[in-house]
Amino acid sequence: MVIIMEKNDTLDAKGLMCPMPIVKLAKKMKEMKVGEVLELIADDVGSKEDVPAWCKRTGNELVGQKEEGGAFYFYIKKVQ
Amino acid sequence: MAETKKFAMVVSEGSFDKAMMSMMMGNTAASMGIETHIFYTFFGLNLLKKGTKPKLPGMMRFFTGSMIKKMKGVGMEGYQEQMAMAKELGVKIYACSTSMEMMGIKKEDLVDGITVLGAAAFLDIGADSDMQLFIG
Repeated sequence: MVIIMEKNDTLDAKGLMCPMPIVKLAKKMKEMKVGEVLELIADDVGSKEDVPAWCKRTGNELVGQKEEGGAFYFYIKKVQ
Repeated sequence: MAETKKFAMVVSEGSFDKAMMSMMMGNTAASMGIETHIFYTFFGLNLLKKGTKPKLPGMMRFFTGSMIKKMKGVGMEGYQEQMAMAKELGVKIYACSTSMEMMGIKKEDLVDGITVLGAAAFLDIGADSDMQLFIG
């Protein structure tokens, strides 16, 4: 999955370890509107598995993902 | 969206590692939209006291400060902040009534927003849960 969507907002969670990127992601997504895409940047290795699991569990859509310069980029579309 | 799951956790120890672990698990679960219930019993109850500062167990307690510093270094909030976060995320927190009696702890000694109940009431919640953890 490398197709990167247009983003509406960015959450920089670099330097934060599990579970803080997820806690902050959940909070941020509450502020977003349905259909908007959030770019989440994290460098916790665990986030590679954690973010897709969070999306699956909450019903939001992971529309893109990439790894660049030691950081993980996730593009999450708010579904509900 | 996946159906809403229910998570029940029992915390029976009051040391720093147990405190942080239960809060991290609980707050992550709540962030994932999982309905989270935590029951504090025996020494776990000390974690619900106002202004409590849990320490690592045994001789390790002298290293609590350096562990907190390490955790802050990776963006981890302290125990009190995690507790506040749990409340904000809607984590349900229960104090064991028998442990309170046994340890001479009054409801007013505990932080706000806690429900006092007995084993049967919590087991009723646990029986309905999809996931149960014991931290002790």
